[in-house]
Amino acid sequence: MMSDHAPSDRERWEELETARLLFGLSVEEQLEHGQLSAAVSVDESLSLEQLVASLDVTWSGSESMPLPEHLRLAIRLRAEQELTYNRVRPATSGSMPSRPGWWAHRYLPWLVSAACLVFAVTRWNSDSSVRPVANLTEFRAEIISSAPDVQRADWTAGPTPISGATGDVVWSSQRQQGVMRFQGMPVNSPTQEQYQLWIFDKNQSDKTPVDGGVFDVTTEGEVLVLIDPKLKVQEAFLFAVTIEKPGGVVVSSRERLPLLANVN
Amino acid sequence: MSKVGREIGLASLHDVWEVELQVPLLPRIANGETAAIDECLDRYGGLVWSLARRLSPSLSDAEDAVQEIFLDVWKNANRFREEVASEVTFVAMLARRRLVSRMRQSQRDVGAQPIDESTLQYASPPQPARLDITEEATQATACLERLKRDERQVLELSIYHGLPQSQIATRIGLPLGSVKSHARRGLSQLRDCMRLRSRVNQKREEQ
Repeated sequence: MMSDHAPSDRERWEELETARLLFGLSVEEQLEHGQLSAAVSVDESLSLEQLVASLDVTWSGSESMPLPEHLRLAIRLRAEQELTYNRVRPATSGSMPSRPGWWAHRYLPWLVSAACLVFAVTRWNSDSSVRPVANLTEFRAEIISSAPDVQRADWTAGPTPISGATGDVVWSSQRQQGVMRFQGMPVNSPTQEQYQLWIFDKNQSDKTPVDGGVFDVTTEGEVLVLIDPKLKVQEAFLFAVTIEKPGGVVVSSRERLPLLANVN
Repeated sequence: MSKVGREIGLASLHDVWEVELQVPLLPRIANGETAAIDECLDRYGGLVWSLARRLSPSLSDAEDAVQEIFLDVWKNANRFREEVASEVTFVAMLARRRLVSRMRQSQRDVGAQPIDESTLQYASPPQPARLDITEEATQATACLERLKRDERQVLELSIYHGLPQSQIATRIGLPLGSVKSHARRGLSQLRDCMRLRSRVNQKREEQ
């Protein structure tokens, strides 16, 4: 039986909405917020968020500083990639940044399944460099045998080569999947630097290659790494591996570029 | 002016950014018009950069956050509807969502704060420059001043300074539960006060 002092659903929603806007919510709170949001109108649900956003705008107005030029450049390059990729994306009927509330409630069962799937895929991806080679070997062989547009190229030395590093890359634009194979690559320390793949697309400027994912090399023996493109690659012609800070970068300075694979 | 914004009487606050009456750019972004990117960065770069610097633990974190926020802006541009919210509000909402998510992540990563937050001083948010103050901005300021001191302080420390609940509790000497309830009550009263003043103004205009 509920206590006399238990908040009503409306009060609880407002409590969670305030916490969401000011402090963020835990996963459990997000689910509860999503369920309670189903009973709140869109206008009402936006009112507190608009209020906080308006205070943000007001309080930031008198202390505004221009965006630093290097950031502006990085954002611009990424925007061009995004807009080029999504040029034909139809406008949705959604009105605002999607509400984390009502759709979460409506699609909760799907959401849970999707979350499990994402968790599984993320784990799979994040562990790809240390995954048993046999699995990725099979996956690589499967791409070669079944993808009609499969591309394959050997790694060659880039401007800052690593002596003794060899291997190849297998890629299918149709499937947006591929595997890199390395031998003799130095083991990196993930807290200091990581390798990052870049995919050059014939339909995009050379200045804006697609981020193919950050990865680690855990052994100087044979390592297979799953390619993880952040945008759709239409027609790849060059793959490049750079060494970057942990987590990778949005735009590489290309100062350390040990490997290249030209598929033409 | 947006419907919800009109209801809470805040839309014209955006005049401090002088963007309220400008033609929206996001529909052009949604149509893949790359020429609108620079205009968008000119218009909102300062706002987003200001928010990110204020609500990020370090400069490099703020730089990463700004890039993520604008990526969110490009990806969500097709969701913008002028009749629901002004464009600057839409951008600020996306920015806050991203920044709060990053703040929560970084709090999880670092665990307890290593420094004694109670010794730090947190200034009140700046007031809009006198020439920029609109009627609604004046109302917002008046409504903020009508809140109880603790409620106003909780809102300033959370919204403006981006402090987590535990640090606010330490800072102003309140139990954690009181910080939560002050935040909820303060925000809710601020909204109600703004709505009331907006309705009164509307009636005056109609007469």
